[in-house]
Order: sequence, then C-alpha cells, then structure tokens
Amino acid sequence: MMSPAALTRRAAPVLACIGLLAVWQIASLVLKNDSFPTAMEAIRAIPDILGDKESLINILASLRRMALGFAVAVLISIPLGLLMGRSRSVAAFFNPLLMVVYPVPKAALMPIIMLWLGVGDITKTLVIFLGVSLPVIYHSFEGAKAVEEKMLWSGAAMGLSPAQRLVRIVLPAALPEILTGCRTGLVLALITMITSEMIARQSGAGNILFNALDMGQYDTVFAMIIIVGAMGICFDAIFERVRARLVRWSEPQFDMPLSFS
Amino acid sequence: MTAVPARSSEWVRPVTLPEPASAIIEIDRVSQVFQTSARKDHVALSDISLTIEEGAFVSILGPSGCGKSTLLYIVGGFVSPTSGAAKMKGQVITGPGPDRGPVFQEFALFPWKTVLGNVMYGPRQQGVRAAEAEAQSRALIEMVGLKGYENFYPKELSGGMKQRVALARTLAYHPEVLLMDEPFGALDAHTRTRLQNDLLNIWERDRKTVLFVTHSVDEAVFLSDKVVMMSKSPGRIRAVIDIDLPRPRRRTELLLDPRYQKHVVDIERMFDESDEAGPSL
Amino acid sequence: MARILSPTVLLGIAPIVLIVALWQGLVSFGFAPAVLLPPPGFVFSRLLQQLVTWTFQQEIVATLIRLFAGFAIAVVLGVSIGVAAAASPAINAVVRPIVRVLAPLPKVALYPALLLLLGFGHGSKITLVTADALFPILLSTYYGASTVEQKLIWSAMAAGTRRTEILFKVVLPAAMPAILTGCRIGLVISCIVVFLAEMITSTDGLGHALVTAARTFQAVDMFVPLITISLLGLILNALLGALRSYLLRGFPEA
Ligand SMILES: Nc1ncnc2c1ncn2[C@@H]1O[C@H](COP(=O)(O)OP(=O)(O)OP(=O)(O)O)[C@@H](O)[C@H]1O
Ligand SMILES: [Mg+2]
Repeated sequence: MMSPAALTRRAAPVLACIGLLAVWQIASLVLKNDSFPTAMEAIRAIPDILGDKESLINILASLRRMALGFAVAVLISIPLGLLMGRSRSVAAFFNPLLMVVYPVPKAALMPIIMLWLGVGDITKTLVIFLGVSLPVIYHSFEGAKAVEEKMLWSGAAMGLSPAQRLVRIVLPAALPEILTGCRTGLVLALITMITSEMIARQSGAGNILFNALDMGQYDTVFAMIIIVGAMGICFDAIFERVRARLVRWSEPQFDMPLSFS
Repeated sequence: MTAVPARSSEWVRPVTLPEPASAIIEIDRVSQVFQTSARKDHVALSDISLTIEEGAFVSILGPSGCGKSTLLYIVGGFVSPTSGAAKMKGQVITGPGPDRGPVFQEFALFPWKTVLGNVMYGPRQQGVRAAEAEAQSRALIEMVGLKGYENFYPKELSGGMKQRVALARTLAYHPEVLLMDEPFGALDAHTRTRLQNDLLNIWERDRKTVLFVTHSVDEAVFLSDKVVMMSKSPGRIRAVIDIDLPRPRRRTELLLDPRYQKHVVDIERMFDESDEAGPSL
Repeated sequence: MARILSPTVLLGIAPIVLIVALWQGLVSFGFAPAVLLPPPGFVFSRLLQQLVTWTFQQEIVATLIRLFAGFAIAVVLGVSIGVAAAASPAINAVVRPIVRVLAPLPKVALYPALLLLLGFGHGSKITLVTADALFPILLSTYYGASTVEQKLIWSAMAAGTRRTEILFKVVLPAAMPAILTGCRIGLVISCIVVFLAEMITSTDGLGHALVTAARTFQAVDMFVPLITISLLGLILNALLGALRSYLLRGFPEA
C-alpha cells in the first residue's frame, strides 16, 4: 500500500512528461512552423520507426555497441579507480593524464580512430568505452579515497592481505559512489553512442536522426528524439532501481546523473 | 535563605512567580508538539510558563532532550509554539528580531566573512554607516580579546576564539536579550572557565537580560540569578531556584563559599532523584 | 624549482611522456604510416604554426563565443532555478519532477530539433551547450542551497535580515562551494558539447576544423583542433580554479 504522498511522488515524473509534451504541443500549434511537428504527430510516427525492420536492426545494433562499451569500461575503470584511491603513487601517475583527456570530447576522436580502424563496430564501441571510463574512474577514485582508514586497519588486524582488503572492504564501502559513477557512465554511453553515429553517419540511431533531417522527414526526426529520450530516462530509472537495491544500507542519495555528451 | 525547599514534594509546585513590573520576557503556557517520523506526536514542551525580569541572568538546566533548545528557539522566534505564546515586552513573538540575539553552540559564523565582517554584519544590517559600524565592531572585537584577528577567517580560529566572535557578532547589534544555547558546550574546561568570566564581566557592565541554556550545574550556579530546572518527557519546569550569591562573583572565591556549594549539591540531588524515579511518562 | 619537480609531478608527467614516446616510436619504426599517424613533433609544430594564423584564431574565437554564451546562460539559469527550488516548496514540487525527466535525457539528441527551430548559426549550438551544462549546475546549487546550516540563517534573521535578503546574503554565499563545483563540471561539459555540435554541423569553430581535415584526410590537422580544445579546457579549468580559491578563501578545505 502506498501513502498518498508516496503516490504523488511516483506520479510526479509521469506528470512532468505529460506536461512537457503538452508544452511542446501548444508551442508547435502556436508557432505553426513546417519543420516543427506537433507532439501528437511525432508520437504517431514512433510505431512506423519501430515497425520498420531496418530501423529496428539499426537501433538494436546501436544498443549492442553501447552495452559492450559500457560493460568493458566498467570492468576496467572500477579496479583502476579503486587502486588510484588507495595508492598515492598510482593516483599521481594517472591523474594528470586524465585531466588532459577530460575536456576532449571522446566522440570527436571518431574521425581519427576511423582512419585507423575503419567505420565499423570496433571504432564506435571504443569511443563509447572511452566516454564511459572517465566518470567511472573518477567516482571510484573518490569513493575509495573516502574509505575510512580505521576500517582498513581493522581489516589488516583481521589478517586480510592488501588485495583482499581492496575487494572485501574498499569495494563495498565505495560502492555507493561507484554506482553514482556508473549511472553517469550509462547516460554517457547512450550519448556517446548517438553522437558517434551522428558523426560517422553510417548506421545506428544517430544516423536515422540525421538522415530524416536531411530528407525533411521532420516527424521522424522528432519521433526519434522521443525514442532516444525515453531510452535515456528508462535506463536511468532501471539503474536507479538496481542501485537502490544494492546499496540499501547507504544514505539515500540526492544526486541525479550528470549527463553530458 | 535557600529557594530550594527541604522536602521534595514541594519542588513540584506550579511556577507562579509574582508578576514583576520589569518583566521583559513572558512565556505563557507554551507547548510544543513535534510530529515524529513514526507519526506519533512527541510532546517536547508541555505547558511552560516563565517570566524573566529585565537585566536578569537566567539559566535553563535539564537533562538532554527535555526541550531547552526548543524553548530558547521559541523565545528567539525561530520556532513557533504549538500552543501558548511567548511575549517580549508584552508583544507576542512572531519571528526573530534584533532585540533578541542568539549565540549558538555551533558558533554559526559566516565562513565567507572575516572576523570583522562577521561582527559588522548586524550593525550594517541595521543601517549603521560603514565607517561607524567598523569602529564599533573593532572596539567589540577588542573587548572580547581578539584584537589583531580582525582580518582572520573563522576557519583560522580556535573554538574558543570562534565563540568570542559569535558573542561579539551578537552584541554588535545591541540586542536587549541574549539567548545562549550551550555556548560553551563545545569548549575545553580551561577555555570554558575563561569565557564564563569574560561573559560575566560583560554582563556586569551592561546588564543585558540573558537566557542561558546549559548542561553544567556549576556553570548555571556560577553565572545566574535564577536557575530554571526542567524535567523530561514531556518537558516541564520542575523548579525555579534563586541564586543569591553576591556579585561581582569570583570563581576562586565562590568555589570555597558554602552557599555556592549548597546550591550545586542541592541541584545535583534533584537530578539524582529524578533519575531514580525513571522517565516520567 | 625543487617543488615544481617533486616526485609526484614527475610521476604524473611520466604517462604523458610515455604516450608521446610510444607515438613517436610507432612512426619512427614504421609501424604506422605518417599519413595516418603523423609524428608528435610534426603535430606540435603544426599547432604552433596554426595558433598564430588569423583563420585558426577565428575558429578558436567562434568556439569560445559559443562556449561562454552557453555556459553563462547555464550558470544564470542553473543557479537561480536551483536556489528557487531550495527556497520554495511550491517551486520545488514543480522543478523536481521536470529535472528528474530532463536530466538523464541525452541532450545531444535534441540537436536536430534545435537546428530546425533555431537554424544552423550560433543559436542552436549555444542552446545545446546550455541544455547540457545546466543540470550539473542546477543540481549542485540545489544541493548546496538546501543544506545551508539552519543556524546561519537564524543568526542572520536575528540580526535583522529580511527573508528576501536571506537568499542573497546567506543562502547564496553559503552554497558557493557547491555552486562552483557544479560550474566546474558544467565548464568541461561546455567544452565537449560545443566541439561536438560544431563537428556535427557548422561552418566555423574548432569542431568544424576537425571535420574539414577529416574530409581531406589531413591527419595532422585533425590532431591540432583536438589538442587545442584540450588546452582550452585545461586553461579554463585553471582559471575557474583560481576564481574558486579566491571566492572560497574563508571556507575550510576549499
Ligand atoms: N524539529 C524537530 N522535529 C522533531 N522533534 C524534535 C525537533 N526538534 C526537537 N525535537 C525533539 O524535541 C525534544 C527536545 O529537543 P531539544 O533540542 O529542545 O532538547 P534539549 O533539551 O536542547 O537537548 P540537548 O541538551 O541534548 O541539547 C527532543 O526529544 C527532540 O527529539
Ligand atoms: Mg539543545
């Protein structure tokens, strides 16, 4: 049973979605611009895209690359971040490099990597991998750094080796922070995926978007935007569920993912 | 002559003090009920009535959680009572005002302002011109013994120094009543003693009304004209004790004074007794 | 001098030197043809050469204008909405669910729509930068403003500060550390987004320079804008860091 307050809280994002669509609908009716379809028109175009076999294959291929890039990035970045957090020299070694790489748009490496590896899946997956890595490394680093020294001392006193301490103490203690990083990384994976496809313009969801734009199929453009947006919101909501389950013991967190391209 | 009757049954008499002509704060049947997360009502204060005379130094003493801070916040106007009213000079208190200056245990200094900036904040807010406010504030900083620290930031000061700044910041806008919530609670014993002496000196000079919350029986007896003892769950006034020790008070002399010792012992006995009785529900 | 060359710094420079050495090695020993991977010396001399040309400076200026405009709007909107949401439960009730929906939305997907609505000029790119930089700033501000210590506010109120003034005199300065953290993230995001937007469609700017080079397979010229945006990011970050330590000089651990 949910209390009325909890019910309102659950319903609020749905109401917000409806509200935003309503604002769009009204704005498009007022502006009466040929290249700005109404929300209803865009929504009506969604089944066409999802029903089209080629589009669907394209989108699924995009998602596969995204999943692969995300998974590999997480598997490599978490141990690296934890090591950096617990060892000054490892941190000193990697920090400046990461600082230099941070403001470089990862998707902008597409053209260069394309030169070497071609336009195929590997290039796009690699770019997604790069995009996801940084926030996950950063948050794992911060999480591991904040682990209380005394916890590790008691671990050492119980006879845990340094490697065991990293896995049995640092990892669980830093988990809330790591998962925050993964959440940001997940949204980033989606964004990098779309952007890389917009730049490579060969296949995938980003490509459908810009092809439709070039061909003047504005309904499709906006329908694709809704689809991609819904993906972002759904991934985030699902991940949030998982996160809440994994770290039930930790303080409820406020922060939402800091999504960016 | 002691205010504490010998038999304990007489302690729990209802507090009906004769209304003095110079009452500055009147707390009139104030109750405070908090909604807890378990959605049960928690009675923090129950039917509190108290009158504080102008220029008096009144301490509130009681076990942790008995509502001392809540009572002080109500007088400050930060919290409004569930029922009853607190009055300042006959006016019902509806919000904070510069006539009542709080000094908190946590100092609550503005970290983005220097010592001088913190102390000047009140006068500037009252519309005093910058040059004048600065001169007044510098004098106050000197009075609390922090000359030379005007341009330091709070983070660069020790706990005792921060509490001096907090006191100066409040004194700077000339409140008629000082509301102090365990102001020396976070300090070590030595600093605490020094600040108590300084506070007494300042108070003996301008005789502001002080409402002073503390855990320490010594501190309450040493500083006050009157000690209000509270009991817990629900928060009630248990007794009001007049401290008839001569002023100016010197700590070293008082410690040897049998009257001082008697007050301390009497009050501590009352605490023991309430502990034995267990929580009164 | 001794401080600058501390072991920590040397350790930090090591991987960067290593990468450059590896890069040089790949070219020198013929593992990678210079057409695909120009040697580092060549790239850096090309960078220096480009930096003094008028055309390249114009590209940088175009990028910077969009970056600053977008970032500035994001700061103004993010800080004011964040503070308003923290101060008023009514505004909070409206803003919160909207932010929950919009924050995880991949903003770059909106870019085609922005192009249709605002055209191919500055407007669409600035809006995209704002949309992306807004949320970290807003969330950070909201967090900072809603966790301001109650007793700071009470102290100010007792000193005679009116409710409306409290926002500017207490809440905003007290939330400043959190706001600046949000700005720092927002700034990096702005660098990234402006570059991407220029790559996807533009007639000028650093991103455009990269795409032009890619079309003609000029590998050297592809590296130059990338290094430039990385340097810009570092410089802007350092400037913000300096501003931060000035503004937060009173705060502990700033
Ligand atoms: N905002 C609040 N919401 C719910 N309950 C509260 C709130 N503030 C205080 N209380 C409750 O009211 C009671 C009195 O609190 P108060 O802080 O006034 O006690 P106190 O006497 O100052 O204790 P201490 O000596 O520990 O400072 C406590 O039981 C506390 O749990
Ligand atoms: Mg208290």
